[in-house]
Amino acid sequence: MNKIEEIISVFKDLDNELRLELLLDYAEKLPSIPEEYRNQEQIEAHRVHECQTPVSIWITVLNDEVCIYADIPRESPTVRGFVALLIKAFNGASPEEVEIAPADILHRTGLADTLGMIRMHGLSAVYKRIKDETHRADILNSANRKMINP
Amino acid sequence: MSNYVYPEVLVDTEWVVDHRDDPNVRIVESDEDILLYNTGHIPNAIKIDWQLDLQDQLKRDYINKEKFEQLMSEKGIANNTKVVFYGDKSNWWACYAFWAFKLFGHENCLIMNGGRQKWIDEKRELIKDVPNFQTTEYTVQKLNEEAIRSFRADVTPHVENNLPLIDVRSPDEFSGKLLHMENYPQEGALRGGHIPGAKNVPWARAANEDGTFKTADELKTIYESEIGLKPNDDVIAYCRIGERSSHTWFVLKYLLGYSNIRNYDGSWTEWGNLVRAPIEKP
Repeated sequence: MNKIEEIISVFKDLDNELRLELLLDYAEKLPSIPEEYRNQEQIEAHRVHECQTPVSIWITVLNDEVCIYADIPRESPTVRGFVALLIKAFNGASPEEVEIAPADILHRTGLADTLGMIRMHGLSAVYKRIKDETHRADILNSANRKMINP
Repeated sequence: MSNYVYPEVLVDTEWVVDHRDDPNVRIVESDEDILLYNTGHIPNAIKIDWQLDLQDQLKRDYINKEKFEQLMSEKGIANNTKVVFYGDKSNWWACYAFWAFKLFGHENCLIMNGGRQKWIDEKRELIKDVPNFQTTEYTVQKLNEEAIRSFRADVTPHVENNLPLIDVRSPDEFSGKLLHMENYPQEGALRGGHIPGAKNVPWARAANEDGTFKTADELKTIYESEIGLKPNDDVIAYCRIGERSSHTWFVLKYLLGYSNIRNYDGSWTEWGNLVRAPIEKP
């Protein structure tokens, strides 16, 4: 079982209350963004516009390992929690692992039931962004590698 | 305190501190994010989530009378309990919960002026302990929907008779430039613009930077001098799903004393998606 599957299995067996508590736990542990991202330009350039909360996501892939950072206001613990959960699952993972992670993660974890349907759209958009960006970073890396070693 | 028509519905943070252990008071937090309360809340406050607690989970509507009675009972709210609402975003969601309680005729509803923001700015204590109140008996005395809620069928004659409609969305949504609130694209509509005849007063104009409501004079300047409303007008307010317009509903009804103000909760997500509904662009 890889990390994302482990996390899904933990969440899905909890009741709503415990699920929320665990999500909050994750929210409180969301890592802060590095200094070089803390400016308007960076934050704007990495915004996930589809999410109702101002969320910015940075994805890099180095040596076949994914690295994710996110900037999300403290007043939005639900989004912080969900993204922190994804960071825990995907940081250090290979791009392939991220790309094949289940699309319906919000249903599999039971978060769709716990949080309600209206909240799903923004969270799904953030999840999709992470997967898309990872894929893009991966392709860019492969292209660069080919250029260096033709 | 400003010369509001019903000043007794607004209490300040100090009042909430003084009534924290009052058995006849229930402090309710209502926010956009379901977990914000869990990160820390006013001591003795309980959470009511606008989506999961107040809305029907199947059809687009609020909960019914039985579910409301059950919710009240679980939260330890009795028929004569003074419920004081507060929340994030200048009490936007607190007003929404207040309005929902009024659908079921709950008599004693209050708003803590300034909401979460003011409490935090005043460096008051936030705690994580969730209080447990004894369950109560609650019976809805009289449904109040007709007086404060508008359906689509009410809006059509309103438009035809040129009666006042207030669109509390941003100017870009009002003009149709945006089909959704910036950052809220999941509440999209197929068409942009506004209901014909509606005037645009973005909801936030009624609030100060610190989250409190503006004074009665300032509010009169906005709604009466600028827009031409009068206290005995038959007004309908709307936004996209009715939560921003409940803030304006509160302002007009309780602070300026309007006797006939209704919230059209179908709002633009209904009207902007409705076949053949007339639309106006400035």
